[in-house]
Formats: sequence, structure tokens, C-alpha cells
Amino acid sequence: MSDSARAEIFARLRATSRGDSAESIAREYRSLGKAPSPALPAPELCQAFLVNVLKNKGSVDCVGNRAEAVKVIGHYLYTHFRSHRLVAGNDPRLAAMPWRDAGVLPRFGSLEAGESAALSYARLGVAENGAVVTWTGKANPAANNLLPEHHIVLVDSADLVATLEEAWERINSDMATNGRPRGINFIAGPSSTADIEGQLVYGAHGPRKWHVILLGKVPPDTLELAHAAAS
Amino acid sequence: MQQHSDTFLDNASAALKNSGQAQRRDFFALFAPLVRSAAVAEFEGFEQLRKHIKQVRQHSLDNLEHYLSQFEQEAVHNGNHVHFARDGGELNSLVLDICQQNGARRIAKGKSMVTEETGLNSFLQRAGLDVMETDLGEYIIQQAGETPSHIVGPALHKSAAEIRELFLHKHDLGPRELPQTEDLVGEARQVLREHFLKAELGIIGANALIAENGYSMLVTNEGNGDLCANLPRVMVVCTTIDRVLPRAQDATAMQRLLVRSATGQAQTCYTSFYSGPRRESDIDGPLEVHFVLLDNRRSDILGSDYREILECIRCGACLNHCPIYAAVGGHAYGWVYPGPVGSVLTPLLTSLEQSHALPNACTSCGRCAEVCPANIPLPDLLRDLRHEENKSKLSAPRWRYGLKLHAWLARHPPLYQALTGVAVRILHLLGRRRGSFARLPFADGWTSERHFPAPQERTFMQLYKARMTPRDER
Repeated sequence: MSDSARAEIFARLRATSRGDSAESIAREYRSLGKAPSPALPAPELCQAFLVNVLKNKGSVDCVGNRAEAVKVIGHYLYTHFRSHRLVAGNDPRLAAMPWRDAGVLPRFGSLEAGESAALSYARLGVAENGAVVTWTGKANPAANNLLPEHHIVLVDSADLVATLEEAWERINSDMATNGRPRGINFIAGPSSTADIEGQLVYGAHGPRKWHVILLGKVPPDTLELAHAAAS
Repeated sequence: MQQHSDTFLDNASAALKNSGQAQRRDFFALFAPLVRSAAVAEFEGFEQLRKHIKQVRQHSLDNLEHYLSQFEQEAVHNGNHVHFARDGGELNSLVLDICQQNGARRIAKGKSMVTEETGLNSFLQRAGLDVMETDLGEYIIQQAGETPSHIVGPALHKSAAEIRELFLHKHDLGPRELPQTEDLVGEARQVLREHFLKAELGIIGANALIAENGYSMLVTNEGNGDLCANLPRVMVVCTTIDRVLPRAQDATAMQRLLVRSATGQAQTCYTSFYSGPRRESDIDGPLEVHFVLLDNRRSDILGSDYREILECIRCGACLNHCPIYAAVGGHAYGWVYPGPVGSVLTPLLTSLEQSHALPNACTSCGRCAEVCPANIPLPDLLRDLRHEENKSKLSAPRWRYGLKLHAWLARHPPLYQALTGVAVRILHLLGRRRGSFARLPFADGWTSERHFPAPQERTFMQLYKARMTPRDER
């Protein structure tokens, strides 16, 4: 059935398509130029990213190094769960963090029933919409993004890009060496729904809370400025 | 899905009498345009983006054979099975075959208007499969045995109280009250989570197919589609052949338009790209992935004067801005796609005979075209369909003769002006005292809701002529 359907559909499309050569199609495509991107809420990239994360109803932290990151994560877990339990993917960057300093002992793997908090190390952060980007694999099981009550995401300030087009440049260059990942996830907020009378509720299926920690060189006062700009 | 578009006028009258639903629609029709326009203003350059995406979509459709075959090639290279379906029946059978070959009984389904179009759920259920919608809105209407009233918010016609009753009745969870919306969402989350973890096969739609790398794009706020795409061992993506875009950045650029137009957000919570089954180094994800690509007359539309309707990105902005949609709601349209886009699509995807009332459900106010992110000239397409309706003699004879008479008069300006001059003078004299009419013959429906203002003494043409005549000749 499918083979004859395929042949018939392609025959119909051939009748409506212009039938240009691949080269001239590519030429026409290039002539269309680039899509405009939205205005950033701040000229500085870290601040713009954090403002948009806050607008997406995420909470944020800024830390200078990995020791501080571990402390901030430990504090977050204790504040919300009165425990230090955490699940994280098998990302070598996460395994190398000084967890003991904050008394946090993550379990490395995929989230299981009864576990509430998961940590991901994002590959990218996008300033124009406050999204973090992860791709599936050993380092980042999909369940850790989608099933926890709280999703904590680390992003290196060096991995921030301004626009979605720049994000794809980075993703495509990673694909060129490591192949195409199964899933690429742009995450911009806790899971939400407005399906009942248009009323916004968080935690529809996935995380009720989304906490983003920006790690690395960040200009002083960025966090305060971002909070002020977002409110 | 069963069609009831032929009784549009009756459906609409009934909808106007349901005051609870009408009130919710009124509120939504005020609220949705506000959040959209705020998001558009914040973007700056939105008009430029709209133009750019229009060009990209036109280019993709002009060369659809090229891009669709590139997508197919890349998707197969990524390890997917790619199937083509000429019509809804073929899509349904293909999906059932995939379920049966994999011994899948429990199906978790993400939101997909395409599968509403083909009636996939009832088809699979008749074959004994346990199919559960997982988008909260779709889940609610599935439990209630209803159809979507809006392409983005399918259950917006229901009140929280109705949904509470429904859940208390359908979920066997003991005595509880569910006082807040949060409690309702929480209960659905709990019930659906269990289904997700047991489901053997997930079905999702796609907002775009990427020709350069064989990925499909999925846009949601709940994350339910992503659970369907990641947890079950088999995944099926159901979408239509016109969704292909050349490159991944075209899809995310289109999404800038989509989200702002649909919900006024800058970004949905989850925007995901899936390439196929689990890779060797992966620890999760489906082991087998199928794409089922539906035509269902879209290749005909592509070759017709209505091809621009294929550029629709399903944001729902035209519904949110349509005075008719706000008045009568989505169910009155009697099929899957309501509002202005539905009034164009329904006759093209089903038949004009069954749905010729829909292109008439238009005041020609033009708001839909103003806000359509895909720049589709919806009022023009609706007018063309009305023209076809008239040519095929589908409308009532008195309408056709009335139109003929009007057309004849309009082509004889002196007579037209003389007659309207007399009519205006009579109305002016009759309504002079009150300034308006509470009732008019042949216009009961119109005057039942408002007064008709009495006209000035002279017609526009009479005033215009007087003004254009040089003073000394008057």
C-alpha cells in the first residue's frame, strides 16, 4: 500500500513543483537571507539570558566556579526537599565536580520512580528566549529532563549564544563530529498548561520547578540587574 | 472525524443559547488578542519575520518534491521507517499495522490535529487498543467523548466545574474534592503518568519536518509529547507532507512566529527535535520509529488557487480574533478545524457540498488576515469559496436570485442610485422621530440584538456629488 501511495503522492507533487535543479533551488534558498531575531532584553549576553529565564518562570543562580555550583545545588536541594538526593546523567563534567564539599552525592543515571530532583548540564543557553539546550545520550537521559519534580540545569557562560541561528551553528558543528543525536531539547520553563479555562498551572506532566545555574565568567551584579529587568 | 458542517446554522444557533460557554468565549476573545499583541510588540521586527517565513514557506512548497524526498532520504538514513498515506483511511491502517506488528496494546498519544482529521483514535479503539490522549485538553475531551473546540486549547469550552465533575466520575480514586484548577491538573498528571510508564507505543504529531537532517520538530508546553516520544519502545510520528522546511533554523524561526501568535509566549517550554530510534550509546529512547506522512488532498490544494492555505502554521490566532468564532465557538463548524482557517480548509479537505455554510461564516472584517503569522489572505480565500458555492448553485435559490438582482443593479448606477435614494428617504422619514428602528422587516435576526440607526436624509453618492460640484454651479 505504502509504495504505491508514495509513488502517487510524488507524482502529484512533481506536477505542482517547479522542477528546478538542486543547484538552483539552493541558490534561491540562499537568496532568501536570514530571519530577524527578537530584541534582547539587555545588551550583555549573560544578563539577557537570565532575564528571559526569569520571564519563563525559571529561578536562577550565578556562580563563578564548580565548587560554588556544588554549594548552590546543595543549598537548593536542602531548601526544597530537606535532603541532598539528586540524579544526574553520566556527563563527565558532572562526575568531575567536587560533590563531597557540599555533602551532595548524586546518583548517576536515569531518573527512577520516587526520585524528585534531576540535574542536567546544558550544551547551550539561548539568550533570545531563555532556553537551555540538551541532547539525549548517556550524558543526558531524556527522563531526567522530563520526569522530575524539580529540574536543575547548569549552563556554562561560555556556552551562551544570542540567537537560535547561532545555537544551530553550534549544534551542527557538534553533529559533524559526533553524529546526529536522537533528540535535541530546547527547554524554556517548567512544564505548564492553560488547558483549563486558560488558567496557567505549572507541573502539567514534567517539572513543577526549573532552576538554571549560570556557571563561569559573569559580569558583577548581573543577577541583580536581571531580577530588576525581569520584574 | 464525523462531520456536521452541513448544519452549521443550527449548530451556531444552539451555541448562542449556551450562555456559560458564550461567556468563556467572550473572555477569551478579549484576552487572547491582548497577549498576542504584547508579544509581537516586544519582538520588534515581527513584520519582517513574517515576510521572511512567508518566503521560506513558499519556496518549500514550490519545491516540495525536492524537499520531501530529501527529508525521506535523511530520515531513512537516521534509521526511521517512512510511510506515505494518500488519505485518512490509509494513515489509520498503517498505524494499526505498526501497533499490531509490535504487539503494542497501550498507546500514549500526543496532540495531533492530523490524527483528529483521520479519526485515528476511534479506529485504533475499535481494533481493541487502549489509546490515551496525554495533552491535558485532549485528555479532557477524550474522557468527555467530545471533539476539540479550538486547535490549540481543545477543551477551552468546558468550565473547571464541568471538568471536576468529569474527573470525579471517570477516575476511580476514592472520595476527594479537587477544589482548585491545580488539583485537577495534578490528578490528570497522576493518571497519565501511570499510562506513560506502561505504554508500549507513543504517537506524536510534528510542527515541522527538517529536510537537511531528517529531524521532526515538536512544540509543547506540557511536555506530554516528549514523554510519548521518549518513554515507549516504539514511536510513530503522524503529520502531513506539506510540513517540510529546508533547514533546522527555518523551523525555529517559524516557531518565533508560532508561539507569539498562539499564546503570546516568547518560547514554549519544550521545543524538541527527534531524529529517530535510540543510538548505540543511548540509554533510553524508542527502539523503532515510524513516520506516517499524509496527503489527504493537500497535493490537490497545492496545485489549486488555494495553495496559500498550506502555509498555515496552526497557531489559532485567526480563531482568537474572529468575531464569528467568538460568537459561536469551534463545535458549530462541525469538523476538526474551526474559525477562518477551518472555513477554508474544511471545504477543501472534505467537500464544499457538505460545508458551504462555512465560507459564509465571515463578516469580511479582515482581522484574521491582519494577525495571521503566515500572511494568508483568509478573507480572499473565503470569498473565492463563496463564489464557487454560488457558481455550483449550492446556496439557497433566494440568495442566488438576490445576489443576481443586486449584481444587475450594481451594474446600472443611475437606477441603483435612484432606488437607494428613495429607500434612504423613506427610512429617514419613518425613523425621524426616534432616530433608530427597533424592528425592520426581513432583518429580525439583526434587530433582535440592536437598533438600526435611521439614515441621514441623503445617500453617500448624493452627498459626494454635492461636494464635488463647484460652488457656483450649485
